[in-house]
Amino acid sequence: MEYILDVQNIQTFIGQYHILQGVNVRVPKGSIVALLGRNGAGKTTTLKSIIGLTAPREGKVIFNGQEVNGMRSFDISSMGIGFVPEHRAIFRDLSVEENLKIAERKKGDYLRKKDFIFELFPDLKRLISLPGTSLSGGQQQMLAIARALVPDNQLLLIDEPSEGLAPVIIESMMAAIRELAKESTVVLVEQNFLVASKLAEYYVIIEEGRSVQDGNMKDLVADKAAIHRYLGAA
Amino acid sequence: MNSFLRKNFIVIIAFAVMAAFLIAAAQGMEKKDFVITLLRGLAVGSITFLVASGFSLIFGLLDVLNLAHGTLFMIGAYIGWTVVVRPDTFVDLLTPLALIASGFALGDVYPLLASRIRLGSSMRRILPWALILVSLLIFWRILPRYPIAIWDVENYGQSPVTFAFMADSGTRLPVLPAAFTEVTMSSALIGLLLASIVIAFGISLFDTSPRTVKLTWKNFIWFAVALIVAIVGVVFNNAMTDYLFGLNSNWLFFVAVVVATLSGVVLGGLMEATLIRPLYSRPIYQLMLTLGMSAIGIEMVRAIWGRPEFVMSKPEFFNGGGEACPATNFADWWANHCSTILFLDGRVRVYNEIFIPLVGLVVLVSIWILLQRTRLGMIIRAGVQDREMVEALGINIRRVFTMVFALGVGLAALGGVLAAPSSGLSNAMGESLFLNALIALAIGGLTNYPGAALGSVIVGMIQQFIIKYGQIGIPIPFTDIVFKPTPPLVPASTVMLMVIILLILPNGLLGKKE
Repeated sequence: MEYILDVQNIQTFIGQYHILQGVNVRVPKGSIVALLGRNGAGKTTTLKSIIGLTAPREGKVIFNGQEVNGMRSFDISSMGIGFVPEHRAIFRDLSVEENLKIAERKKGDYLRKKDFIFELFPDLKRLISLPGTSLSGGQQQMLAIARALVPDNQLLLIDEPSEGLAPVIIESMMAAIRELAKESTVVLVEQNFLVASKLAEYYVIIEEGRSVQDGNMKDLVADKAAIHRYLGAA
Repeated sequence: MNSFLRKNFIVIIAFAVMAAFLIAAAQGMEKKDFVITLLRGLAVGSITFLVASGFSLIFGLLDVLNLAHGTLFMIGAYIGWTVVVRPDTFVDLLTPLALIASGFALGDVYPLLASRIRLGSSMRRILPWALILVSLLIFWRILPRYPIAIWDVENYGQSPVTFAFMADSGTRLPVLPAAFTEVTMSSALIGLLLASIVIAFGISLFDTSPRTVKLTWKNFIWFAVALIVAIVGVVFNNAMTDYLFGLNSNWLFFVAVVVATLSGVVLGGLMEATLIRPLYSRPIYQLMLTLGMSAIGIEMVRAIWGRPEFVMSKPEFFNGGGEACPATNFADWWANHCSTILFLDGRVRVYNEIFIPLVGLVVLVSIWILLQRTRLGMIIRAGVQDREMVEALGINIRRVFTMVFALGVGLAALGGVLAAPSSGLSNAMGESLFLNALIALAIGGLTNYPGAALGSVIVGMIQQFIIKYGQIGIPIPFTDIVFKPTPPLVPASTVMLMVIILLILPNGLLGKKE
């Protein structure tokens, strides 16, 4: 299998705290991989370590065959990785359109991708000139994902897309993620196991900073014991 | 509309109170005094704004409280003044400075070079220091011997005071022709270039993070620019000196403004890239560093320019005299370039009270356009809120940091050189203005750009009105007492206003709640 992303035994510190103590994640090209685990297990830190916001002290992050650990975050991102952070990080003082435009890596990215984005998230088209803050939670989440779609990204790292959203909106969000996964590979952090299991083909369970189990999502759904042990879900 | 009123209730009240004060102030004096005091307030406010806006841009994006900002304002003034008084010094400095900068302009090339060198870990640790030491030795050997027509603070006949006096009276000292005597020209130039490349390479070795660098001609463009400046500076040295000495005071002033602002930009860029950048994870150290820079800056100014105070002569354009002056209307002024215009029987000084506020307005609008209409401005506004996210989008935010720091210091230097003809130059000019700027920012909102403008104007107005009332006095109602505010009340009044505003609106007038 061809892996677009190969995270090998990374160790990440935040301050003096040893947060990741050996995480391995392999992401086949064109798939959706879900990182699962309890609160504080290190899922978000794994995403941040991949993009270089919290650089791993040891281990390797290989993207498209190139070692990227230790590189500056903007260099890693420029190689074709989009990041949708946990709390969306919509820029308050920028309009919706500016929030999209700022993600351009080449001039004209926004104009090129505009139609695709508005097809995926029709709501955004209507809100285009509003300031980023006047959006509801669901709209902000859409905007955050849309922002990652503006440049040509081969890999999208999406952190907690369903957090704090109403069930109806989660449904449309999932549809959108499925749609955009046709174009690029997705690594998803998701607390809501139901959402994760419906979206992802593969999973990695992270427990106390270590990746403890991975495999096919279908197998995990059948393995009630593992779900209970690692995720505390019934 | 209703919700707007409710949300901004306190701000509206604050503005109403200020308007009431202004109207009350107008009652106590003649109309001409009122207008002139208003214009003076605007002038002081404009200079304050130039310093405050740069400070606020830097603080907003970088979270750096640049305590050296006032000192940089002063340095801008002194550099501008030097260009007017001794253009030959400025021309002589062009070549060595461009050569020293040239090595740093190759910044993107060094990581490639470093990746080619295979060394043991101990050698890798020693190499940068060895390179820096070697280059410092070369600088130490060449720079003191490089011929620069400069004054001598110790020697009265050659001191800045003498040159200032000569420049004011229009007779400039004959220029000492710069000649290479102790070192040959070629060895000096090549030595500086090599030393610059070596030191820049050495410094770049400290950054060990791997980077993807694709070399294109763009990586060499600034190096080429620096080299061209250096060569032009040395080949046309005498021609440029003669040209600058022959310029009339308007153009010389213009050159001074441009040179001072650009020096501020370069100084700011260097400061951020070399001193501030390594300390982003230690904000307290950064604060101490800028405080130290401020003290060092003041001492450097004392060492180079001495302690006396100077006044930069106003450009002819604003400094006309004669029988037709003061002008009574604009056409009249345009014909004679009088230094003052009669307005409602009061004399308005054109440079101080019209030109400076105009420049302030132009800067206000241009920075506003930069922030709201350009991609750089978009990145700055986004970066103020969330630097990490901007970087995760693939934007090199550090480069933007350097640009903003450079821009902020450039604005302070511009303020300095503009203030030099109106308020003069002294070792202390930075400190008092910096204090004003901080108060203005506290009043207007620390990281709010329009707030910086508003706060600066308020501070300028209050000070000028109190100075004016110090002359004419305020009659206290129902008594015979006439209260005359004393000079110490001028700075005290703005601090008092700041305290009141911060008690009611902790984020300043236009600051947003965090």
